[in-house]
Amino acid sequence: MSPSTTPTAAPLPAGPDETTAAVRAEGLTKVHGRGEAAVTALDGVDVRVDRGSFTAVMGPSGSGKSTLLHCLAGLDAPTSGQVWVGATETTALREKELTRLRRDRIGFVFQAFNLLPVLTARENALLPLALAGREPEPGWFEEVTGRLGLTDRLDHRPSELSGGQQQRVAVARALLSRPDVVFADEPTGNLDSRAGAEVLSLLRSAVRETGQTVVMVTHDPSAAAYADRVVLLADGRLAGEVHSPTADSVLAALAALGG
Amino acid sequence: MLHLTLAQLRASVGRLLASALAVVIAVAFVVATLVVSATASATVRTAVAAPLVDAAAVVLLPSQEGSDPAQPAAAADAVRAVDGVADVAVDRSVFVDLVGEGAERTFAQVDSVPAAGALRWQVLSAGRLPEGPGEVAVAGRVDAAVGDRLSVVPPPDPSAIATDPEEPVAEPEPQDVEVVGVVDLGGDPTASFVPRLFADPEQVAGWGGTADQLRVAAAPGADGTALVAAVADAATQALGPGAEVRSAADQTDVLVEELTGGALQLVGLLLVFAAVSVLVAGLVIANTFAVLLAQRTRELALLRCVGATATQVRRSVLLEALATGLVASAGGVLAGVGLAGAASAVGSALDSPVPLAGLAVPASAVVVGMVLGTVVTVVAALAPARAATQVPPLAAMRPLDPVPVRSRGGVARLVLGLVLLVPGAAVLAFGAATGSLLVGLAGGLPTALGVVLLCQRAVPPVVGLAGRVLGPLGGVPGRLAARNAVRTPRRTAATATALLVGVTLTSTFLVGASSTRATVTSGLDEEFPTDVQVVDVSGGYDPGAAGLPGGLTGELAAVPGVAAVAAVPGALVQAPGDLGELAVLGLPPEVFDVVRSRTGDAPADGEVRVGQGFADVWGVAAGDVWEVTGGAGTAELVVRVGGSVDQPVVSAAQLAALAGDDAPLQQVWLALDDAEGRGAADAVDAVTETAAAAAPGAAVQGAVLFRQSLDDVLDVLLLVVTALLGIAVVIALVGVGNTLALSVVERRQELGLLRALGQPAGGVRRTLLWEAGLVAGVASVLGVALGVVLGLAGTASALGATTSVVLDVPWLQVLAAVVVATLAGMVASLLPARRAARTPPVAAMAA
Repeated sequence: MSPSTTPTAAPLPAGPDETTAAVRAEGLTKVHGRGEAAVTALDGVDVRVDRGSFTAVMGPSGSGKSTLLHCLAGLDAPTSGQVWVGATETTALREKELTRLRRDRIGFVFQAFNLLPVLTARENALLPLALAGREPEPGWFEEVTGRLGLTDRLDHRPSELSGGQQQRVAVARALLSRPDVVFADEPTGNLDSRAGAEVLSLLRSAVRETGQTVVMVTHDPSAAAYADRVVLLADGRLAGEVHSPTADSVLAALAALGG
Repeated sequence: MLHLTLAQLRASVGRLLASALAVVIAVAFVVATLVVSATASATVRTAVAAPLVDAAAVVLLPSQEGSDPAQPAAAADAVRAVDGVADVAVDRSVFVDLVGEGAERTFAQVDSVPAAGALRWQVLSAGRLPEGPGEVAVAGRVDAAVGDRLSVVPPPDPSAIATDPEEPVAEPEPQDVEVVGVVDLGGDPTASFVPRLFADPEQVAGWGGTADQLRVAAAPGADGTALVAAVADAATQALGPGAEVRSAADQTDVLVEELTGGALQLVGLLLVFAAVSVLVAGLVIANTFAVLLAQRTRELALLRCVGATATQVRRSVLLEALATGLVASAGGVLAGVGLAGAASAVGSALDSPVPLAGLAVPASAVVVGMVLGTVVTVVAALAPARAATQVPPLAAMRPLDPVPVRSRGGVARLVLGLVLLVPGAAVLAFGAATGSLLVGLAGGLPTALGVVLLCQRAVPPVVGLAGRVLGPLGGVPGRLAARNAVRTPRRTAATATALLVGVTLTSTFLVGASSTRATVTSGLDEEFPTDVQVVDVSGGYDPGAAGLPGGLTGELAAVPGVAAVAAVPGALVQAPGDLGELAVLGLPPEVFDVVRSRTGDAPADGEVRVGQGFADVWGVAAGDVWEVTGGAGTAELVVRVGGSVDQPVVSAAQLAALAGDDAPLQQVWLALDDAEGRGAADAVDAVTETAAAAAPGAAVQGAVLFRQSLDDVLDVLLLVVTALLGIAVVIALVGVGNTLALSVVERRQELGLLRALGQPAGGVRRTLLWEAGLVAGVASVLGVALGVVLGLAGTASALGATTSVVLDVPWLQVLAAVVVATLAGMVASLLPARRAARTPPVAAMAA
């Protein structure tokens, strides 16, 4: 990897073989609607996320960042282009296989409504494993929930948990199956700054300590500062990158975009 | 996934159970019908089997007429000699008159009781059984206690009937008997029909009782089948081939079948109505599940996000449906058994015509109820389950934007509906035009099905139109309701369809009954010449014969409600050829005031008029000339054919010329003031009383009486049918209330917003009531429209072959059906509307 501190529209570094990338996209295009009402959400985006990295995706509203996340995560099919998760080309998969991919190799954290209200925290966290009919690795469940500070709240329902605790349960769910990549869509959007900081630092330690790959969409520069790299989008295209971001450098990069 | 399903069930228990109520009601209906029917059968069987309980075989004796009176006893001896037979009883019975204190007579049935032994089956509730002549035990409607004395008049001895039919038969003297016991006949369905006496066999024989059967008791250890065969041999030898021998079990079956055979059809009919209820319940459940799952869109999307496959989601939903179905069916079975128990208790307390004692719950009824309810629930949930799997994972990301689930089923429904409706309607019209019931049914069924399918398309626009027109009448709530009602067209259509089924069927019956009534009534003029006729039936046409008392005409004229009377004498005359002796009536000139229609005017002097039926039977044609001779003279009469009196009619003057002035009064014809209205019943009662007092043997008949008995029958029929269909309508209304309740949960945020913006709680309530009213109203209007068409077409095809059909739509009843269904829909929504009105404004902010 070639570190760069200047926010430019950097092309993909050539050379390294595909299996080091946790997620990769080539020529990703998404067009909503038809004819005159057509809206281009993504316009030929190439992106690459290395294993064990924490990537933030930012941009003004309408920039296509959420759409990018959806396409990378296999939740939405692009109009054209290809996506790989690990060595698997997701854009070539059928719905059933895509479902299994989501279950076993991708983790999700949303801004809100992450949990099923009828299940306890424990059951919510174990949901993807239960769907696969698998038991968690011995010790792994305790370690993850311990690290997330959830040990006493495991048998509570979401309605009995605070917003921050709910998000942490979602993070636990995402981490438990040791996915290739965790996608987070504005995970701190509904939280106060303290709870938000908690969730973000937990994500970062997952990346640091266990080599988990995380891709996060956010509009908050201070949240983006937790990441290793910020990818900027504007009008559906890559508009730059910020490496080893700080809140200030991100703000500056965004301002440069908005101009 | 299982624990998720169970958790979902636990969380949705309230909402699921409220909608499962529909299944509970339908299953209860089916189970109650089956249990009541089984109970009635069992009751009848117990009662019928009571006399046979200790018997092994029964020998049914051939008719005793002309045979040796000692034959039964001889046959009994022959059978008694058979190996394995312990005892034989000769069962005799006879009908006697019981003379009461005021010399009034009542019929009573007397059965023989063997002097002793195993074949005495009667259960005593007081005293003992008779042991010789002069003693009786009573049962049934005989109001006597042990120690009382009864006066019995046996029937006249058949051999004493004189050869001269003119001479009255001598009546036997009353005999005094002592009541020695009271028998409890338990659940015997015939017990309350007639007073019953039990007497010694000799006594019954003395009263002229005929031997009906031999009951055979077997010795312990005897082989049943072999015994029956041996008895059969002996019986045939003694009685000839006319004797029929059955085992006691077979005989019980035969008797039960005789008594309950017709009841099976009744049960079948009831089950048809129950099937309608089940269908409507299925519609309600399907709609409820659709709504419930729509409310879980976010969760379903989340599940798909984290990797649940479509199959896993569908299985989870169906499992929920299965659990709901099982619980609802169990509830329905219990409710049905309870209902049947209540019916049985009421029935035996009130001495009902349907024999019900205790409760017989066949395992089959329970199984049918459980299976039916569960299957209906699961099948109804299939389509919503499939729709649930179509929720895209993306819907989890955008919680405020419910992804509309597109349904390809809409087009298929439209096409199928048209395919059924258009040819079906054509066939139905054809059946109506040609008066063929089968064709009409063949066309009516697809028509109805096609319309129900098309409702999915038709209802939302109609509701929208109704809302646009009527909504503004309700102010802001009304206008809001009009928009809300069409927000979810599929849900609105599904709710309305369930109600429409019930309303359509009800109005079909209403219109059918009304048209049938009109058709039959219009034919009355050809059947009966007048509103009421008092007719002498003693058959004496001879001069000097009794006939009706002369003063009767005047008495009847004085009865309130009678508009005009005409006295119609009659006489016997000799007509040419095969016609022989004819009874002829003479119509006075004032008969015109009294006849219902002028078709076939009264014959003039020198004419005789006969009805078409008479002409057909006797091969008589208009223009024939008869030479007719009566007691006082001869005349040549020209025949005319027509009119509503079948028997030959001449003018009164002509009759006097033929038979003299003292021809007996045969009939009095009356016209009523208000023949069509309800006052006619009182007038008819008064006429009947007057006639009975003056001439006990007279018969009262006429168009008005016929119409009244028709009305009675149709009214009862309509009442029963409406009640049965009402159950289906109630189920549909449960669905209306339920759907609204679920939508209130969904709309919590916007209801809070309305309150925050200043709409009063009453306004919120009115909005919801307007919504319910719109949907229920449109459903009932469409339902009665369809029902009117089906009812008219049905009547035309059912009756068209035999008579010219008069079509009549009871607009008042139809309007009442619409109003009642609409109001009921609003009542069903009162609870959810009240709850919605309590939404606090702060709910608008809640995420």
